[in-house]
Amino acid sequence: MSTTSSRRGFLTTLAGAAAVLAPSRRASAEPPAVHRWGMVIDLDRCTGCQACAVACRAENNVPDAGPTNTSKGRSIFWMNLLTVSEGEYPVLRQQFFPAPCNHCEDPPCIKVCPVGATTRSSEGIIQQVPERCIGCRLCEVSCPYTRRYFNWSHPEWPEEEREHLNPDVTPRSHGVIEKCLFCHHRIRAAKTAAQADGRSLKDAELRKLPACAQSCPAEAIVFGDLNDPESEVRRLSESPRAFRLLEELGTRPKVFYLREAKWQE
Amino acid sequence: MAQIFPPWWNKLPIVAAIAGALGPTLAIAGVWYYFSPWYTDVGYRPVQPVPYSHKLHVGELGLDCRYCHASVEVSAVANVPPTRTCMNCHQVVKRDSALLAPIRDSAASGRPMRWIRVHKVPDYVYFAHNAHVAAGIGCVTCHGRIDEMETVTQMTPLSMSWCLDCHRNPGPYRRPVSEVTNMKWTPPRDVQAAQFDRPVNPPTDCSGCHR
Repeated sequence: MSTTSSRRGFLTTLAGAAAVLAPSRRASAEPPAVHRWGMVIDLDRCTGCQACAVACRAENNVPDAGPTNTSKGRSIFWMNLLTVSEGEYPVLRQQFFPAPCNHCEDPPCIKVCPVGATTRSSEGIIQQVPERCIGCRLCEVSCPYTRRYFNWSHPEWPEEEREHLNPDVTPRSHGVIEKCLFCHHRIRAAKTAAQADGRSLKDAELRKLPACAQSCPAEAIVFGDLNDPESEVRRLSESPRAFRLLEELGTRPKVFYLREAKWQE
Repeated sequence: MAQIFPPWWNKLPIVAAIAGALGPTLAIAGVWYYFSPWYTDVGYRPVQPVPYSHKLHVGELGLDCRYCHASVEVSAVANVPPTRTCMNCHQVVKRDSALLAPIRDSAASGRPMRWIRVHKVPDYVYFAHNAHVAAGIGCVTCHGRIDEMETVTQMTPLSMSWCLDCHRNPGPYRRPVSEVTNMKWTPPRDVQAAQFDRPVNPPTDCSGCHR
């Protein structure tokens, strides 16, 4: 009896000591990722106006493909508005469907890249390094959501648009893959501003941070930190209306869609 | 029965000798070039259109960095001052100096001076001065002792591994934000540098600096 209690006492002391030591040690090594960026798109609110796609194109210097490339299906969309038809003619229903990169937790594109040009950042963004990309297009093929696009030609803008390119984003050159990056330059700018003021990021300033969310007149797109239990995006992602695309693949996207009716793919 | 070693095996010693000689030579040449100032541009010191002396203005007269580079705390870019800033003093000091003629012309015509940029990073690197100042990284940490330079010289490699040395362990490079422009600041012996200000979490992801 006494042996048991003394052993328990010893173990309790040990556990206590470990608890005291462990956090301090971890804090000095590397702090855990604070943010996990995610997006919620409310399909019941979306009117299909395509403002998100236009805003994204302007924000991220995505070039217009031009008639030749478009006819070959080579135009680039970081944010694309797809339409899905449901039912037959008399009871036909059209669903608009904004489609950015899903930023999967377990993305197939990273596994197939032979040069490590696409990686997952510590905050969950699937980032793309155009300078490393060799243009093999394996990731384009592997993405089950077809959210990756190849630059088939040198990016060109009409003369009047050249002055309006966003200086915060580098245009991608011929022969590399590009994709939605959750406007990480805006996240970086928000972080810098927050750091200068000595505060942490607020959910209110993050909700409409990406260009697509900012431009959405129906407020169908909400961005935020999925790790923050108070955030709007976390609350909506746990809604009974929420679903993710091709969930059976196990890619665990961080883009959630909301829809009252059941989604049939 | 076929021969175990086909005839081309006779060439093996020669090939091995060439490869053995070439491999180390290339490795040495690679390190010689890519790890040297020829590649990293340390010591780059272009001749500027006006021989502006940081040693005189900062070291001896004691101008604060932010008198001219005013946007360093609020913008990604630490601006090169307009010639109006020079004329604040030089309309009374050294009014007739021949060396200052381009400055006077520029101020009169409104055409900016064509200074030559010293510290360059590739266009896909998005360096933000305001973030680094807010984190307490001193000017001297990257730019060297500007207050002792007659002509501004690049003192650090500005390479990615050099950036990451600090991003992975910023503690030793930090200082109180109030001391950022102090060229002569040294950390007090008894206090850890990390304790001066709130903790920082510099990005080590690709997207932290590259877009």
